Amino acid sequence: LDLMILQTLSSMGPRHGYSIAARLEQVSHGALRPNMGTLYPGLMRLEQRGLIAAEWGRTENNREARFYSITAAGRRHLRTEKESWDRMASIVHALFGEAT
Amino acid sequence: MNFMAMREKLREWGLRCWATLRRSPSDRDLKRELEAHLVLASEELQRRGHSPREAARLARAQSGGLDQAMERLYDQRGLPWLGRFALDVKLGFRMLRKYWGLTLVAGLAMTVAMSIGAVVTTILDSIGGGVLPLVEGDRIVAIQTWDAASRSRRSTAPADYERWRDSLASLEDVGAFRAVQRDLIVEAGATRAITVAEITASGFRLTRVNPLIGRSLVANDERVDAEPVIVIGYDAWQSQFGGDAAILGRNVQLDGVTHSIVGVMPEGFGFPVNHRFWAALRGNPSRYMSEAGPEDFVVFGRLVPGVALEAAEVELTSIGLSSSSVGERTTEQLRPRILPYAAAFVGEGILLFPVIQFFLVLLLIPPCANIAILIYGRTVSRQEEFATRFALGASRTRIVAQLFIEVLVLAAVAATVALILARTLGWYLHGEIVRRGNSLPFWMDFSLSLKTVVFVGILALFAATVSGLLPAIQATGRQMQAGLRSFSSRAGPRLGATWTCLVIIQIALCLAILPSAVELAWGNIRPGMLGPGFATEEFLTARLGINSAATPTSLNPDSDGLATRFADVQRDLVRRLRAEPEIREVATAAALPATDSARVGIDGIPAQVGPVPIVQTNYVDGAFFQLFDLPIMTGRRFSAGDFERESDAVIVNRSFVERVFGTDEVLGRRIRYLEIRGERRSTAASDSELEYEIVGVVGDMDTNARIPEVYHPAVPGRLHPLRLAMRVNGDLAAATDRLREIAATLDPNLTIDDIRTLDDIYRQRALGNNLGAFAIVAACLSVIILSAAGIYAMMSFTVNQRRREIGIRSALGAQPRHMLRGIFSKALRQVVAGVVVGLAASMLLRWYWPAEDAGGWPVPGILPAAAIFMSMVGLLAAAGPARRALRVQPTEALRDGT
Repeated sequence: LDLMILQTLSSMGPRHGYSIAARLEQVSHGALRPNMGTLYPGLMRLEQRGLIAAEWGRTENNREARFYSITAAGRRHLRTEKESWDRMASIVHALFGEAT
Repeated sequence: MNFMAMREKLREWGLRCWATLRRSPSDRDLKRELEAHLVLASEELQRRGHSPREAARLARAQSGGLDQAMERLYDQRGLPWLGRFALDVKLGFRMLRKYWGLTLVAGLAMTVAMSIGAVVTTILDSIGGGVLPLVEGDRIVAIQTWDAASRSRRSTAPADYERWRDSLASLEDVGAFRAVQRDLIVEAGATRAITVAEITASGFRLTRVNPLIGRSLVANDERVDAEPVIVIGYDAWQSQFGGDAAILGRNVQLDGVTHSIVGVMPEGFGFPVNHRFWAALRGNPSRYMSEAGPEDFVVFGRLVPGVALEAAEVELTSIGLSSSSVGERTTEQLRPRILPYAAAFVGEGILLFPVIQFFLVLLLIPPCANIAILIYGRTVSRQEEFATRFALGASRTRIVAQLFIEVLVLAAVAATVALILARTLGWYLHGEIVRRGNSLPFWMDFSLSLKTVVFVGILALFAATVSGLLPAIQATGRQMQAGLRSFSSRAGPRLGATWTCLVIIQIALCLAILPSAVELAWGNIRPGMLGPGFATEEFLTARLGINSAATPTSLNPDSDGLATRFADVQRDLVRRLRAEPEIREVATAAALPATDSARVGIDGIPAQVGPVPIVQTNYVDGAFFQLFDLPIMTGRRFSAGDFERESDAVIVNRSFVERVFGTDEVLGRRIRYLEIRGERRSTAASDSELEYEIVGVVGDMDTNARIPEVYHPAVPGRLHPLRLAMRVNGDLAAATDRLREIAATLDPNLTIDDIRTLDDIYRQRALGNNLGAFAIVAACLSVIILSAAGIYAMMSFTVNQRRREIGIRSALGAQPRHMLRGIFSKALRQVVAGVVVGLAASMLLRWYWPAEDAGGWPVPGILPAAAIFMSMVGLLAAAGPARRALRVQPTEALRDGT
């Protein structure tokens, strides 16, 4: 979840919690629908680690919401984790390819 | 985990710790954000065609419950276990209040044991582990010539000192000092004896402390032809010179030699030990080092930056000692050694510090074992609470942790009180020592060090483990097995044989030490309360010495010239003083009161048979017994011949006769010394081959202390320094001035210092004795209270266990007397067993280690009195629960038991 949140904020810019959840649901074609009890502790954890920052703001409909944005440390973390993920994925992919 | 990830984790944990304390972000903000989420979700659903009501319902359903989300956020915001810990601590404090009796008893016992640990560690740490309060004071070291065979310091040879000073690359500012007594005269004023540190100029560089006024010593001051200069301390500047701003250049006389004041050191500066006057060590080392014994001359230095003590030790060993120093000994036997500066002033006793600390930890075991009984009793009495919690899903670990923390809270409170007590006592001790005109090394202030705090923290953890964790594990172990059975049955846990044995051991231990402790405490308090039995305030005492470049601490019989000179001066001084109208009598002795002690062997009795009595030894002149009105009870006084050579005649006191021989037939009996403790005033007395003949018996000097004493005749000139005592009729201050005046006219090198009344000396001794007695009484009280509490807990527990049985018996018409006997029998068995074992242990202890040997005072009938007292304590502790048992209503007991 942490990586997905970071990737969402990295690609789409500052977003509030509901928007992030909606984006994850959208890209997963409804497979992922994180509820508040999962999403917000994740956001808090990333904020505590200094990977994202948050501030209160207003939505297009003038609703109050807390907007999250990725920090420089968050971008570095995302890059490292993506590389690691790609490496692992290629290994698994290679293994499965070999098996078939 | 790489560095970046670790940093992120640390940041998270730091913020969570902070949030546990401060709840940041606030609950309100968290809820606000979740509600905003629901509003946005609801709006989105409305856009998709749902009614507002339906949209709100669906939004809540899809996003999960708000309360559950809040719970998850709380967990992420702080540290849940820390919160639980805080809750347990809070609960722990509540339990302290609820079970206040147990809190008082257990808290007192823990506090006493921990206070002893804290006080002893503070004192040991101040004495031996002190770091000098100077810039990088931990890098200042001392170098000694060490005799590994005799485990003692030897005099450092001048050649060795020069080699170390010039060759050691791992040390800088290597120098030396010695402390000397000098008579100070400030511009034709009164003479005052002072201690001067004769020190190399490097000593001031080493401290990195700048003078307040003027300069400190410099290398040029060490030249033989340099003008004599002196640096003074702030206190001396204020008290002797009234804080004169134009102090520099003023002259003072030190033993008749004019010295010019060149500087004033800032307040509190006392390097090398506690000095307020500093003069240069002049000339080369071979000149001044040959004059000093091992105690008088200290070599110091500072580790250069980046060099560890071990590396310096390796370098010092490679340089070693010169072949002339080693002589016929091996380099293993005699070698140089380097050690932290403060440790150099403690001697080999420092090696015992870890052992002492280990015993301090052991000291906690008896009280903690007792507290464990009490805690166990309390824990099993809460079985229904724990069974319920267990049934509701709490793990055994969780319950054990809670019980452990409850006791840890108590131990932490006891540790805090112990630290406060240690600090207060440290202040008091320091203040008392300074108030009485004594001075401590400047690094010794008896303040709490980090080491002491850590040590007491470990003691608290240990105490909580023994008293809380072990009973909790045992009680909950049974609990888990018994489970919810306890709801339907009264067959709960029982106190096993281990606990019964502990109570018996406790009573026995208490009884074993109680008589000796009472005698010891009484022996310590008694002299302070009653005084020594004569008018000590009429006696003025002073240390008498002769200041010579070649004065060793104990005159060598070979240096007859010096001995003769001192004997002449001593005789003249005593004669002149006796001629003074206000002085009734004058005498001299090695020490007043006696400070040396020895184990004494009696002729014809092998040393291995039975305990060996410890006696105090002293060397006195012919007028000593007359001065203190000590009548000769049998035998004779010392004859003139006894003072002409090393005589084997000794006179003993009445306590010696009573305690060592037990019979009056002592004249002509011969004694020898097996082991001597003290300054060994005479080389002859240290020889265990020598025997001495008892020629007379005198009364006790201190009639309230019962100290066995042996008096040797002091051959004039052989004791140096010695103690002069005189009985004054009138004004003591006038007598003091007269003493100084007469001494100054007799020989300018005669030194008179440490002038005090005998009353002061005895009062100082009483301070230490009272502290010792207080510690003994506190320790004994805590052990007795704990024993009583142990029996009380055991009995309470037994009564609760047998509640149903008692109820049935009561319903069937059993006599209260019979029931009481049944209930009491268990306690009685334990008390009797404890008393029997304790009496045997006490008699053994008193035979092997008589309390009188350690300064105790015999109390008639103490053994049976202690046995009766302990029996009463045991039975009274059992009386409360027994009374409760008799009040058990049959209907209630039977109803509870169904």
